[in-house]
Amino acid sequence: MVAREQFAWVWLLTLVVTYTVYFTAVVLTGETTFWTQIVMFAATAIVQVVIIATVSAVIALRRKDEVSGDERDLAIEQRATAVAYNILVTGIVLVGCVLPFTQSGWKLFNAAVFAIALAEIVRHGLIIVMYRKGLKESKASRGWHG
Amino acid sequence: MRNRLKVLRAERNWSQADLAEQLDVSRQSVNAIETGKYDPSLPLAFKIAALFGMPIEHIFFNNDAAQAAE
Repeated sequence: MVAREQFAWVWLLTLVVTYTVYFTAVVLTGETTFWTQIVMFAATAIVQVVIIATVSAVIALRRKDEVSGDERDLAIEQRATAVAYNILVTGIVLVGCVLPFTQSGWKLFNAAVFAIALAEIVRHGLIIVMYRKGLKESKASRGWHG
Repeated sequence: MRNRLKVLRAERNWSQADLAEQLDVSRQSVNAIETGKYDPSLPLAFKIAALFGMPIEHIFFNNDAAQAAE
């Protein structure tokens, strides 16, 4: 497993676990105070930063030579990012242009967080899938994927 | 796209790591190219061709051409 796939696993597992806990807490607590929401989100963000930074630093120290990546690593990241970008844009359009007519406050905020989380989870999930299954040129492009 | 990279490498008794080092890519990328899971960019394909001292088309060929030949 290349270092970049290990990074993707760290991101994916951390995001899935922390956001599952966060959104479960949001649903269970229902209407909460401003500070309760702030504390829940801050705790989630801090846990993510600590886990990802620590594990990524360990991987980077152990596998210094691979961290910069080669053209295959970059091609995989570009393909995954392109897909995730579409999910993110769709989510942000819903949050910014549709939801304000029916929702407000923290529901809007959490919808935006959900869109960002989903895009990131899909991105890192796709990176792992492409490392495992391979990166082939798409029928649409009929050309090199870089 | 298919290729003869594994055969050419074996003829020279190079490991995937040896080839990867000469091409400045990871061993996993060499493995992905050999197994058809990744098609290299044109610059990398030229680099591979130069390393083996033969034209690109003697190393890489597309699936349609390979099926037609078979």
